[in-house]
Amino acid sequence: MTELQKTPLFDAHVALGGKMVPFAGFAMPVQYTNGALKEYTFVREGGAGLFDITHMGQVRVSGSGALDFLQYVTTNDVAKLAVGQVHYSALLNERGTFIDDITTYKISDSEYYLCINAANRHKDVAHLQAQAANFDVSVVDESDATTLLALQGAAAQAALQPLVDGDLEEIGYYKFAQVQVAGSAGIVSRTGYTGEDGFEIYIPNSIANDVWSKLLAAGAEPIGLAARDMLRTEMGYALYGHEISDSVTPVEAKLMWITKLDKGDFIGRAAAAARKAAGPQKRLIALKLTGRGIPREHYPVYVDGAASGEITSGMHSPMAGGVALAYVKPEHAESGALSVEIRGKQVAAERTTLPFVRSNVRRN
Amino acid sequence: MTIPADLKFTKEHEWVRIDGDTATFGITDHAQEALGDIVFVELPEIGRTIEAGEAYAVVESVKAVSDVYAPVAGDVVEVNEALEGEPELVNSDPYGAGWIAKVTIGDGQVELLNDDEYATFLEE
Repeated sequence: MTELQKTPLFDAHVALGGKMVPFAGFAMPVQYTNGALKEYTFVREGGAGLFDITHMGQVRVSGSGALDFLQYVTTNDVAKLAVGQVHYSALLNERGTFIDDITTYKISDSEYYLCINAANRHKDVAHLQAQAANFDVSVVDESDATTLLALQGAAAQAALQPLVDGDLEEIGYYKFAQVQVAGSAGIVSRTGYTGEDGFEIYIPNSIANDVWSKLLAAGAEPIGLAARDMLRTEMGYALYGHEISDSVTPVEAKLMWITKLDKGDFIGRAAAAARKAAGPQKRLIALKLTGRGIPREHYPVYVDGAASGEITSGMHSPMAGGVALAYVKPEHAESGALSVEIRGKQVAAERTTLPFVRSNVRRN
Repeated sequence: MTIPADLKFTKEHEWVRIDGDTATFGITDHAQEALGDIVFVELPEIGRTIEAGEAYAVVESVKAVSDVYAPVAGDVVEVNEALEGEPELVNSDPYGAGWIAKVTIGDGQVELLNDDEYATFLEE
């Protein structure tokens, strides 16, 4: 087994009682001494939750061909991005299935910044660099030098503001600014994976511990992977390896909204369009148990008593009960009596809408 | 971490309180600590006959699903219905209000440790 990577904050996590577990090749805190439920509640109920998500990767794309390149390798319409804006997007392969889901930041007309999933980093970078050969562009993997923190919850802005120059209030939802963070150049975006207001903060590794401790001193509390997964699942946000993978296309994953078939050619466009026209092979639904139990990943989902699919993410939501995302046969997406098989027993469920609990992200 | 002297323990981190022909089951403080926040407990049905070492209940934490094994054989006579609404009692009071089930003792038991033996086992 290869040794797990450590983020610059590894010792800080251990000092805070972080229970370190392997995650995408890194040793990351699954929870701290308070436990996942209290951490979850802190973020949902007005705190400022601090997450080390340095495992995620960052790629800088620059050059006169940057726009053309990104239009060709990502699904969303990069021409619509303004400087200082972020959008959710994806990398598809020629089969129209997902290499990864990403966020794209427009720094200037000739410079963009991509945030990619940890588990897909090397695959993504190899793919991007191979494709870059046909464009006047450079693709640089900055992951190893970059610390990424998320600060999420209603108190996030007040906790972060003293550390940065510039007014955070001016950064709208899915917007970002290049700012000084504790005296070093960083990027702060009003983005996140929790359904709460908050920021993602890209800084050099050299100041990771300084920023981390200053945010804790400002009242932030550390939040581990378990609470992060609860928060994202309650929002119905897709997670690579769960709702999206290299075996589904955007139409199955309900991600046509980031797949702009009319923007011009891009990798996977023809296959994604063909699948959309032919109809999805399965469909992603949101469900809530009406019987007792916790729906969990890979549990079988039945419709009218017959096997139809399986859960991709499921949890006990303190606010909404047993909730899950699941793929079912296309004809079962909207009708038929749902149940989830839990330890051999059928537990009744019903379709519901996302998010499972109210989102508090800023609307502008 | 205190280990009550009036209980017996298994190497699977369950406890049993034997009182005449009745036994009460639960999981140890060490077990609840390792599992983390417990959010669901699946209780056995009253009247079910359980073999020693058989999985008779399930506790689910935020991230994990774990079987709970019977220290001794028996027929279930009572279950802790409070856990249906407050599974966190297993975390907050594992040897008291977090008990899981009571049985009338039948034939057979797994290897049971006293408090000192269990403490030594935890250290190993």
